[in-house]
Amino acid sequence: MWPVLRRALHGAAMGANAIGTLMVLVLVLVITFDVIARSVFNAPFLGAVEVVQFSLVFIVFAQLPDVVRAGRLTRSDGLLILLGGRAPRLQRCLHRCIDTLAGALMAVIAIAIWPEFIAAYQADDYFGTPGIFTAPWWPLKGVIFVSACLCAALFALRVVLGPDMAPTPGEPGGQESEHR
Amino acid sequence: MSPLELGIASVVAIVVLIYIGLYIPAALAVVSFLSIWLMRDNFELALNLLKIAISDNVMEYTFATVPLFTFMGLVASKAGLGADIYAVMNDVFKRVRGGIGMATVGANAVFAAVTGSSIASASVFTRVAVPEMLRFDYNPRFAVGVVAGSSVLGMIIPPSAMLIIYSFVAEQSVGQMFLAGIGPGLLLALAYITAIFFMGRFTPRFIGGRIGGGCMHDDQQPLSGAQIMARTTPTLALIVTVLGGIYTGWMTPVEAGAIGSIVALLIAVLRRRLTWPAFKEALLETGHITASILFLITAASIYSRMLGLADLPGVLAALLHNYQLEFLGVMLIYVVLMLFLGTLLDTASIILIVVPLFLPIIEPMGSSLVWFGIVTVIGAEIGLLTPPLGISCFVIKSSLGEDCGISLKDVFLGALPFAFVMLLVLVVLIRWPAISIGIL
Repeated sequence: MWPVLRRALHGAAMGANAIGTLMVLVLVLVITFDVIARSVFNAPFLGAVEVVQFSLVFIVFAQLPDVVRAGRLTRSDGLLILLGGRAPRLQRCLHRCIDTLAGALMAVIAIAIWPEFIAAYQADDYFGTPGIFTAPWWPLKGVIFVSACLCAALFALRVVLGPDMAPTPGEPGGQESEHR
Repeated sequence: MSPLELGIASVVAIVVLIYIGLYIPAALAVVSFLSIWLMRDNFELALNLLKIAISDNVMEYTFATVPLFTFMGLVASKAGLGADIYAVMNDVFKRVRGGIGMATVGANAVFAAVTGSSIASASVFTRVAVPEMLRFDYNPRFAVGVVAGSSVLGMIIPPSAMLIIYSFVAEQSVGQMFLAGIGPGLLLALAYITAIFFMGRFTPRFIGGRIGGGCMHDDQQPLSGAQIMARTTPTLALIVTVLGGIYTGWMTPVEAGAIGSIVALLIAVLRRRLTWPAFKEALLETGHITASILFLITAASIYSRMLGLADLPGVLAALLHNYQLEFLGVMLIYVVLMLFLGTLLDTASIILIVVPLFLPIIEPMGSSLVWFGIVTVIGAEIGLLTPPLGISCFVIKSSLGEDCGISLKDVFLGALPFAFVMLLVLVVLIRWPAISIGIL
């Protein structure tokens, strides 16, 4: 059962990551379009700021689960490396405690953001300047909620399966830490 | 416990948890969340602050500079701009002892102006410059030390992710921070080159290199004018577009980042240096870096909220005032603290942890907060070169591969003289703020 769950969660993380990756491209293109439209045609794209804000949330939260999956969340792993050589058991235990705590944080974030999402969805709230450019709030709250849930699940998976969830062949960026 | 005691306990707990190996954003968020909850005895309040920090902070417009400049830098290095500049610099410095080392510093300084991260510089120049230096019998320690030392330029010379992070924490303009980074970055590069010159004079064995004075590169044809043009024009165009656009006020830093990315892409495509997989890899890498940096900033904003509630910065300021500490005393404590944290933390985390503590102390002293940012970034960057966790040194070690016979210890020892030069430059920058903010 675990391998199936693991593959499903990793697949979801990488899928979300693809969306976030595309948003990086959207960001570049929208701003370039605005600069050209503004300086060459004297017709600025009025929603540029809102689109930038929108895509930032997507980039960060759609990619966060994949950062967790690839083990690239910022950390100082000096002690863990040291322990790995001398007391591997203690090191594994410490890894599990750390991932439990991080998973709990993500779960709390998900719980905190859920009512916001529901409220924004039901009230049809918008942000931006009315009459010029507006975008709905609910997709933003939604992507944060889904991201936090996925991260919590991935951390839980690390607790169960241990820190070295070796990536299956074909998965990119499977290093444990970006420092190595 | 009083709020103040809780605040102090939280800062200590955060540092300890980070040293143990907890993810840095998780350490900041979890401890601050619990601390606010205990301080106000109000779970709802803590939950609300967490929610606001997570959902509203990322929407800061200037944060778009992080993915944009990261992407630009990655595309520029995939387009081989770093290697090109290095070849030209090598041509310039080839007649001096330690010349390849100086060329590495010079090339890093130029390349730093198109990339925002020391990590990118370290990995590019490990692959380009280290083999070249070893080929000419340079001391391996010196070879990797130069690359480590000069990679730091990537985060001081704009565009730089660290300057962006600071500008968010201290509420300064990103454009001004960028401009203020130019002078100190050039000064540091110059200091490195001078240091290499003196090492060549007084400790030639540390540098190594083929003896016989004069032209050490006699097997290389000097570059022709056209070759030099072809290798420098793209990078210069990119630098002029980005920094010129910001300096003249024609573009905001965010817009400069987007236009810079497009220009870098055009250069890469025109020179047929960008394959489809490389393009996808650059996008993917950009996303990962952006997500981890911005998530870290988000977590740090909960932490600074917690500090404010505990009134820790205020108490710290009063304490320093009681001891009649002069400005220089405060700066000394600040630099020592950053060096201490730099032994185990990465630059971004150091900035996010210490700046909210010291900002309320520095601000009433009438110093420029832009200048303070430059001092902070350089002070925190020294940690990239010092053991046990010098990230630049790790990157170099891993880019070298296993069978090169250069150990991590060699990298750290080689980088040590450069860390020392950095410290000297930091002192100069503290003494003469005009080097940083004169350009504004």
